[in-house]
This record gives sequence, C-alpha cells and structure tokens, in this order.
Amino acid sequence: MGNILIVAEIQAGQVREATYELAAFAQQVAGETGREVASLVMGKDVGALAEELAGRGGGNVHVVDGADFENYNAEAASAAIQSAVAASGADLILVSNTPSGWDVAPRVAAALDAGFISDCFNISSDGGNLRFKRRVFNGKLDATLSASSDVVVASVQPGATAPFEGTSSGSTSALEVATGDTRSRFVEVKQAEAKGVDLTKADVIVSGGRGVGDPEKFPEIIQPLADVLGGAMGASRPVVDAGWLPHAYQVGSSGQVVTPKLYIACGISGAIQHLVGMKASNYIIAINKDPDAPIFEVANLGVVGDLFEIVPALTSAVQDAKG
Amino acid sequence: MKIMVCLKQVPHQDARLDIDGAWIKEDGIKFEINSYDTYALEEALRIKDAEEAEVVVASIGPDRVSQALRTALGMGADRAIHVKDPEVDGSDALGIAKLLAAIAKEENPDLVFMGLMSDDGNFAAVPPMLAELIGVPHTTAAVKVERSNGKLTVDREIEGGASEVVELQAPCVVAVQTGINQVRYASLKGIMAAKKKPLDVKSASDLGLAGQVGASGAKVSIEGIEPPPKGDSAELLEGSTDEIVGGLVNKIKELGLL
Repeated sequence: MGNILIVAEIQAGQVREATYELAAFAQQVAGETGREVASLVMGKDVGALAEELAGRGGGNVHVVDGADFENYNAEAASAAIQSAVAASGADLILVSNTPSGWDVAPRVAAALDAGFISDCFNISSDGGNLRFKRRVFNGKLDATLSASSDVVVASVQPGATAPFEGTSSGSTSALEVATGDTRSRFVEVKQAEAKGVDLTKADVIVSGGRGVGDPEKFPEIIQPLADVLGGAMGASRPVVDAGWLPHAYQVGSSGQVVTPKLYIACGISGAIQHLVGMKASNYIIAINKDPDAPIFEVANLGVVGDLFEIVPALTSAVQDAKG
Repeated sequence: MKIMVCLKQVPHQDARLDIDGAWIKEDGIKFEINSYDTYALEEALRIKDAEEAEVVVASIGPDRVSQALRTALGMGADRAIHVKDPEVDGSDALGIAKLLAAIAKEENPDLVFMGLMSDDGNFAAVPPMLAELIGVPHTTAAVKVERSNGKLTVDREIEGGASEVVELQAPCVVAVQTGINQVRYASLKGIMAAKKKPLDVKSASDLGLAGQVGASGAKVSIEGIEPPPKGDSAELLEGSTDEIVGGLVNKIKELGLL
C-alpha cells in the first residue's frame, strides 16, 4: 500500500486551515493502515511554512520553492504534484476543493490515469477500503463512492472535518520541478468591487431564489417585506445569473457572506454555495413549496407553502403589528 | 476558427428525484441541457456572431440526448456529434473525458468551451481532464473571456467575490461559470434550420476506446445514493395562511425585531 500525499495550499502568507483538515484525515488513515503521510508545499519563500506544516500533521514535506510557484498556475502545479507523488510513493492524493484545488486536481488525476472523486465531505476508511461521501444534484442527495484504481485523487470540501491540532514529527526536503514552457500564465487577482448593496450590516435580510419565478416579483413581493422589517433584500445565485438582479444582491460563497439576526429565504432551495453564505445567520426562516428542499436543513423555522400567498400576507401583518 | 462545445443532458432542475439503485429513476422525468453548458454554448455562439467560426457540439448518452443536441443546433451550432453506445454507460469522469478527447483529436478545435460542472453529478472533473488528455492548457469557473492574437484572457471566479485573471494560449479548454452571459433561446427559424444540420452518431469503438470506457473501464463507482441526513432540520409551521403568518409574526417579535 502506498503513502498519502497532502497538497498544501498557501493563502495570504499562511498555510490554509483546509490543509490542516486534510492532515487530520491523512494522519488518521495512516495510523489505521500503516501508511506514511507526505505533503507538498508550493510557493515562493515558503520554507518556514513548510516547517510549520511538518510539525503539525504534514509528515515529510516536499517543498517546491520558486518564482514560478508564487501564484497559482494549473500546469506548474500539476507538474509539481506529479513530482511529489513520485517522490513520496503516494497512492492517495488529497487536495482541498478550493478554486486552485478544483482546477488542478482533475488534471493531475488524468495525468496519473487515477480515479478521481471531488468535493468529498466525508472519507471513511474501513480496513483500508476507502468510502467517499459527496453531495450530488446541487445538494439534494448524498452519494457514496468507492475507487478501484491503484491511485486515487480526492478533493475535500473545506470545513468538512476538524483540522489537525497539536504537534507531530515531520521533516522537510526540497523538490526540484521543471515546469517547462507553460502555455498559460497568472496575470493578477482582481479584488471584489465595492458592493452597491452592503448586506453584511443588515439586521434582517429577505432573500429570493429561483422560486420567485419572475424578475418583477422582487420589487413587488420580496423588497416590501425587507422594507417593512427595516432590512435589505438579497438573492441566490440563479437569480443573479438570470440577470434578474445585479451581483451586488447575491448571498453565497461567490457573493456576500452574511450573518443577520434574521434571514428569510423565499423560494430558495438551498444549494451549498448559497448555504455557505447564510447558514451562520442568528435565525433562519425558510419558505419553499418543496418539503425536501435542503434549505430546511439549515432553517430554524420552515413553511412549506406558496411564497406568493405567504410573503405579501406577512408583509401586511408586520405592517399592522407596527401600528 | 473551430469551437467545440461539450454538452451534458441532465434531469430538469425541477424534476422529481426518486432514488433507484445507485442513481435516480430516469423514467418519466424531463431532461434539459445542463445549465452550465448552456452558458458555454452561448459563449461560443457569440464568437460565431462576431467572426467566421464553426461551432461543433458533442454529447454522450442515450437516444434522448439527440434532443439536447437538436436544441443546441437550433440555437446556432453548426454540427453535432452524439456518442450513443450502451457500452459507455457507467463511465466515470475520466471515461467521459477520454471519449471527448478522442473527438477533440479528430476535430482539432481552436477552442473548447464547456460548463464548470454538471447539475446532476456536480463533479467539475471533465474539463481539466480533457485538457490534460489532449495536451492543452485549461481554466475553470470563467466569468469573462476575451480574445486577441491567439490568446485568451479569462477572469476566473475565486473566493469572496474576487477573480483571478489568467492568460491562455489557444488551443485551450475553458470551463465556464453560470452567469457569464445571457443565454439566447432557439428561434423558430433556428429550430427549423436545425433539422437539416448534420448530427453524427458514434460508438466507443468508432473513437478507438472499445473496452476502455463504460462501467468496466471506470475507476470510480457510485455505491449508493440517499437523501442528506435530516439532522436538526427546521420546525415546521403549518395551518392556514393566517395561522402561518401569525406564527411568523410572533417569532419576529420574539427575536426583538418588531
């Protein structure tokens, strides 16, 4: 049986917490199956970060250090991961499902002719037989998968497991990687533009989803409830993608992450990318016609029903209660 | 300029998902083009609107997939390739990528557009795999694509609303995020014209992949599928609209927001 390779990720000069989550899982499986843990750290001047990872669950850390690795590039990262797989004798490669992780991991799997499983939220090891759990159908169902290949690449959802805590003994060693002529290059990161709508300061957010059905229904039904509660209007991704509302209204991993005192989700089924953006709200009310909608998993109070009936009635009732 | 667009036909977003074995029951539900892929097709058609270009759409799956391909032709694609072969059933992402790579090697496109992921499997695996198999660069989660002198400048969505700008030399594979453009509908004229456009049907052996794809060639398999655990799900308010609204108002008062 081969070893386990963790592909570490550096963000803003730190080892990402998601990397330590991979380390916790890798150390657990290594302990159960007599494998060893190795890691790969890529970047520029990352020696100290590699030492830190080696002391916190990263095992034998291979360090690829150079200007070519200062910013993420799929071809360079793929070459480095393949070198680290060869150097570590790994047959299980763990990557965090982040923008760079989801970009490079399938490419590496194809290069290694390996089995690939993405965005797992749980990996269990039963006597060395790995079972991977992940969401399908935009969060509506969970699937359990297994791999029959000699080598497996898996990407893991950040935050799905607890990070490695404490100290461990490890080592670091330099790994030389020839990137060759890459045919793609990093240009720059553009920071998010200032939002016309700052949802992060609102005490109450009333959001509408695909179930609202029509762009005109937002000013007609959703905004009035937000107004009467002294709050702000938000939206889920499909609403913004369809051009019904500008991106500034989007709540979710690719929009604004909000934690109001009250979040009212209307006609939002609850795709993971939306839940990430609002599940830490103090109190969540969900109104949806589908009783199986994943939004009810994170809501405190749910109404299975017709939002076109309930939301306007609620707006009037709140108005009346205010007198 | 030749652009290849890879499409998947998936269960309609509002379709009832009844579990059947290790997947869902497909009988009697509606299918549609994967939402991400409609944006990929639109991105290709916009290039065709601006200059001389051929748009070739490719898809893998049973008979019903021809309907998705006809829709794509109706929207403005020029030609379709349908890999229809019971032998490819049960392919994993790498199997699908191998089939598409075989098509890409025959077609030699300047650009390949496809969706970031599918609405059913949510794997997001095939585009980078395809790029690796045909030896070209790729990027994912594209929210803006600009071209000049054989190069693409792509904004890709990263976390917190930021984007990463990447430059790629063509040929390359670009996996697009939803919302990158506003997708057109097929016009009646387009739908009529689509009936006369070529739709080639191919098998795994036509593509030199007999025995390498499908369930027997898959390295990854789904063992089971189930609804997510119910956990601490919501307390449900039931009754008439008045009763429900009364309950909601009481809760809002309790939270000190009214």
